[in-house]
Amino acid sequence: MGRFWAVFFVASAVIAVGLCWVAPSYGLWFPGTLKGGFGAGVAHSSIGKKIDDLFYLVLVIVAVTYIGTHAVLGYVLWRGATIKPEEKVLFSHGSHSLEVIWTIVPAGILLYIALYQMDVWAAYRFKEFSPKKAEAVAEVTARQFEWRIRYPARGKTLMPTPQPDDVYTVNELHVPTGRPVSISLKTEDVQHAFFVPELRIKQDAVPGLTIPVWFDVDEPRQYEMVCAELCGWGHYKMKARLIAVSDEDFGAWKDKAALEQFDDGFKKPAE
Amino acid sequence: MASRLISINSFAQTVTKMSCLRSPYRLAASASQRNFCCLAVGIAVLLSGCGQGPKAEFSLRDATGELIPAAEKVVKKTLDEKFGTPQNLVAWQRFPVNYGGVQGSVADVAKDGVTTHFEGDLPAIHHGAPLLWLSGPRAGAKTSVDSVATFDATTKQLKWAGSAEPAPAVGDKFVIGYGSNLQTGRVVYMKNCMHCHGVAGDGAGPTAQYLNPLPRDYRLGLFKFTSTLTPEKPTRDDLTRVLQHGIPGTYMPSFRWLGDKETTAVVEYVRWLSMRGEFEKRIDDDMSNDYSAVAMEASAKKANEAYQTTIKTAKKEDKPEKPKTANQLIKTALEEFSKYEKDDLPGVINDTATLLAESWKKGEEADSLIVPTVARVADNEASRERGKRLYLSDKGKCYTCHGVQGRGDGVATEDFWKKPGSDEYYSHRGLHDTWGRPLQPRNLTLGQYRGGRRPVDVFRRIYAGIKGTPMPGFGRTALKDEEIWDIVNYVMSLQFQSAPTKSIVTDHATVSK
Ligand SMILES: [Cu+2]
Repeated sequence: MGRFWAVFFVASAVIAVGLCWVAPSYGLWFPGTLKGGFGAGVAHSSIGKKIDDLFYLVLVIVAVTYIGTHAVLGYVLWRGATIKPEEKVLFSHGSHSLEVIWTIVPAGILLYIALYQMDVWAAYRFKEFSPKKAEAVAEVTARQFEWRIRYPARGKTLMPTPQPDDVYTVNELHVPTGRPVSISLKTEDVQHAFFVPELRIKQDAVPGLTIPVWFDVDEPRQYEMVCAELCGWGHYKMKARLIAVSDEDFGAWKDKAALEQFDDGFKKPAE
Repeated sequence: MASRLISINSFAQTVTKMSCLRSPYRLAASASQRNFCCLAVGIAVLLSGCGQGPKAEFSLRDATGELIPAAEKVVKKTLDEKFGTPQNLVAWQRFPVNYGGVQGSVADVAKDGVTTHFEGDLPAIHHGAPLLWLSGPRAGAKTSVDSVATFDATTKQLKWAGSAEPAPAVGDKFVIGYGSNLQTGRVVYMKNCMHCHGVAGDGAGPTAQYLNPLPRDYRLGLFKFTSTLTPEKPTRDDLTRVLQHGIPGTYMPSFRWLGDKETTAVVEYVRWLSMRGEFEKRIDDDMSNDYSAVAMEASAKKANEAYQTTIKTAKKEDKPEKPKTANQLIKTALEEFSKYEKDDLPGVINDTATLLAESWKKGEEADSLIVPTVARVADNEASRERGKRLYLSDKGKCYTCHGVQGRGDGVATEDFWKKPGSDEYYSHRGLHDTWGRPLQPRNLTLGQYRGGRRPVDVFRRIYAGIKGTPMPGFGRTALKDEEIWDIVNYVMSLQFQSAPTKSIVTDHATVSK
């Protein structure tokens, strides 16, 4: 029976590592554009790339630890199961030096991660794009179960209260690419969370608060935008699109949207 | 024209169970060998955790349930025959519903099939797709639907299952995949709409009870936010717009993320559900005069009460005749009903179908669409002032409901109102909609536009009113288009007017102290 458990734990570790190894080629990895067919999706915002680097750092540490401990575990189990009756066993129980080692090493690793990640967090929250540097493009209001979005008219700045020339969309957030932008995140009812997986941007929307969220998008295309907080029975309906376009296209889109929104039905009777 | 019914085969039941979060059972397993067994059971439970929900059914209207049993049975039978069940939908060709599919024609007739011709790109055709003949000897009657056996994309050879006779002729038209819109629409509807709007579109889905305002009941054939004239049905574009933009201030969210195919399909499905519901209502209305069991019971009870009071006071010789009991009334009605079913009902069904088909068709016609005859009047102080005067005038009377300041608190909200067509009053103060629910006039200072915020949307609301609500239409009669634009300019400026007057602010401050 002892041999079985040795094989079982080593085999399960091998399978787990193997599955992780092949997961990217099945698209079961980070969302984003895949590089050369293989791989982990690459984040589409500069902060997203830093967050990915953090993930990879932690992943390497965890992988080394996991493989190492399982190798030792497998060896010990096997050795214990196959030991001859006449052989003398070794008891390491109560070894102070061992205990000191496995307390100090993980503590050091954890401290390292804790200090190292502070920089990325700072960059995400305030260091790289302060709200002053990022252009406020829209006010995003979550409600059960949709996203209502208000933009300032072209050439104007976003005001905290609605203006007569504001442009509105539902479930489609248009942003320009290539420069930091910010949104004012609100909720009309319960708590929701603004989440664009491919940008690695996630922020809770909290009743009563207006929370600025800033990010940049590197590639002009559509990204999935979802609610990441179980907000009620229709949570699954809070699926929207973040539409990133170049600066010129963004201006052109806003002109078109404004024209449509102020349509008086007179010239275009077909609508 | 013979009425043609096409049954659309069901596929797996599409009702998704609301909640399928179930934790796997934990089986007590002490021996290690049982671990694997436990794991296997756990996985099996996880996989089967989302069991089938209750079977979806088109519920009948309350009024149908009030009919005498024979009449109720006939209504149910007719609905099943013309519209089917959620599992087996029927496409009644009398109705202007785009049931879906691709149209083609016969290019050549071979021994055991035909060579086909399609306009444009060749569609994907699968084995088993319903094949409906629109013209030629195979069209008409019940044999008009076959199913595709094989289709060769290179030679365009089409073979179908079933009888070869009568053979189609060159030029005969057919539709493949007939009913696909209804099928797709059903899946989209069951996943996203049913839990509020109900399987039959009765606005009484399982989550409806938690909502305010309640979800729309399509079965009156009435939709509030349309671009059409007061008596007309909504257009497909109107329904699509509501679907894509949602209705702020209600629980109707935007479904922008649905694909084009799904959007088109679910709009057709909702139109179809609405036609089905209104069809049932109109048949009920026709029968309820003579065959309502509830009405008979009520009248028998009333007559009996009157009889009881008279015999107490009347003299022995002129005692009134004993009135018929409810059972006697129903028995007579049952006898008459078989005659009605045979002689009148087919005509009633036919007329109702025609009426509905015509009205929905008419809604899509260009004449039904409200198009302002003048462009929006320049939105300036003068126009807003004119709009304000009209708002407060006897011509517009907007203030009676929407309040002098546009806060939706006009005097009409304080009154008790009579139910339409009766002397009975509603138990609640204020206005009610056609569905009999209390209704608040819109607070115009919030900048919340349920039917869309484009000036033309607001214009249409004032021009044709809001269907199913006390909001009347002013276009063509009370107000000229220029005047409506003035009101639009005034109403749309209300949101941006200065904050509440000082006295209100002070009051508020006092209250919060
Ligand atoms: Cu949410």
